[in-house]
Amino acid sequence: MIEKLNIVNRLPEDPILTTVDRALNLVRANSLWYLLMGLACCSIELMQTGGPRSDIDRFGSLFRATPRQSDLMIVAGTITLKMASRLKLLYEQMADPKYVIAMGSCANCGGLFDLTYSVLRGVDKIIPVDVYVPGCPPRPEALTEGLIKIQEKVKKEKYFTK
Amino acid sequence: MEQHELIEKVKVTCQDSIVRIEEMPNDDVLVEIKKEEILSVMDILKNDPELKFSISNHLGVDNGENYAVIYNLYSYPFKHKITVKACLDHEHPEIDSVESIFQGMNWFERETYDLLGIKFTGHSNLKRLLLPPDWEGHPLRKDYVYPDFYNQIDNRRPDLCD
Amino acid sequence: MLNPYGNIFVFLIVGFGVVFATMVVVKIIAPHRPNPEKLISYECGERPIGPGWINFNARFYLIAILFIIFDVELILVFPVIANFRDYLLTGNGLLAFIEIFLFIAILFLGLIFAWENKYLEWLWAIRKRLRVDTGVLRIKDVIEEKSGVEEE
Repeated sequence: MIEKLNIVNRLPEDPILTTVDRALNLVRANSLWYLLMGLACCSIELMQTGGPRSDIDRFGSLFRATPRQSDLMIVAGTITLKMASRLKLLYEQMADPKYVIAMGSCANCGGLFDLTYSVLRGVDKIIPVDVYVPGCPPRPEALTEGLIKIQEKVKKEKYFTK
Repeated sequence: MEQHELIEKVKVTCQDSIVRIEEMPNDDVLVEIKKEEILSVMDILKNDPELKFSISNHLGVDNGENYAVIYNLYSYPFKHKITVKACLDHEHPEIDSVESIFQGMNWFERETYDLLGIKFTGHSNLKRLLLPPDWEGHPLRKDYVYPDFYNQIDNRRPDLCD
Repeated sequence: MLNPYGNIFVFLIVGFGVVFATMVVVKIIAPHRPNPEKLISYECGERPIGPGWINFNARFYLIAILFIIFDVELILVFPVIANFRDYLLTGNGLLAFIEIFLFIAILFLGLIFAWENKYLEWLWAIRKRLRVDTGVLRIKDVIEEKSGVEEE
């Protein structure tokens, strides 16, 4: 509704509006629900990150099985060209504003399968990526670090003010 | 039954179809057959009461000047191995499907068709298995040219000489 | 101050208020950016075939009703179980047991009724029979027929 009033990202910097922005960002940053996008072996580490030992839930991040309820896509694993169109469709179906973590070498650049015929060389060829997490596969600590980076990015965003 | 006994037995049972038969390392026996006789040979190998082979693997090979299909068989009751090989010509690689004898060959033959373009006549569902349905060419062929783009996705391979 | 029911009343009002307020706030500030991909129905990344608004078999409704009967039964039985020790101490244990046994038995009669009338029989068996008898179409054919009607 607010977007229709044409005030998003148009108002001048103002103590009250900045505080509102900060509050909104705090709320969003601490409820980043991620879409289950486990495509290969990295998804085992993704499950481990969601599990009790390294407990990504304490950052307010839950897994969702549908793109309608998620605003973060953790692309965990090798993207084949057959999967690429589906992945793009799922990204389009996610609720705005949406963020992407490319987890592991395969999602970053094709990794081990760089020279094969049917593997996409990095998920950034089809969708915009916010955070790249290197590793094959990354440890749960690394993925948690990636999530914290996303949270920092979300907290810097502006909604009402310019 | 020893290796040479198996060779004698196979020579007797399918004498007309054999091109070459020889011992292989690791208790294996290589039988090269005429490609028209694949169904009768497989039928004998499966149903003969002294052979009773089951299929364990299937491969396709691009030798440059011709193609070959290889079937690895193993007899569970008598514990011997045999490798059946048939050479196909390079222009129109085509062979009868053994799906009617070994039903599990369905996906193996689809994969071989997908990656090498060998046509299996009589196969119930000869469609691509691993690659997208709109893919052009068969990537494991020696003369395959890698496409630079697939559905507007940049799919250029990194240049190894850099 | 308030009697116990008043507390519950306040609790209900606050509960509804919080949910309603959250929904209103979300409606006001949430970004709304639909695109064609987002508006199609979610099929795990596949492009859906046919519309999502197709008729589902009424048999799902029957199974849902049967489920609700036994689901509600659990809620009604639970207080008796929770207080069963008290019944035992006052010497009314057998009475409570017979009472709840009768209750479950009546519901079980309902299940037997449904079973006897083949409401639990799964769809494919019925569809197979119907296809043999009357030539009922497959779901795919129904969808194609429907989209054909819309074009006309």
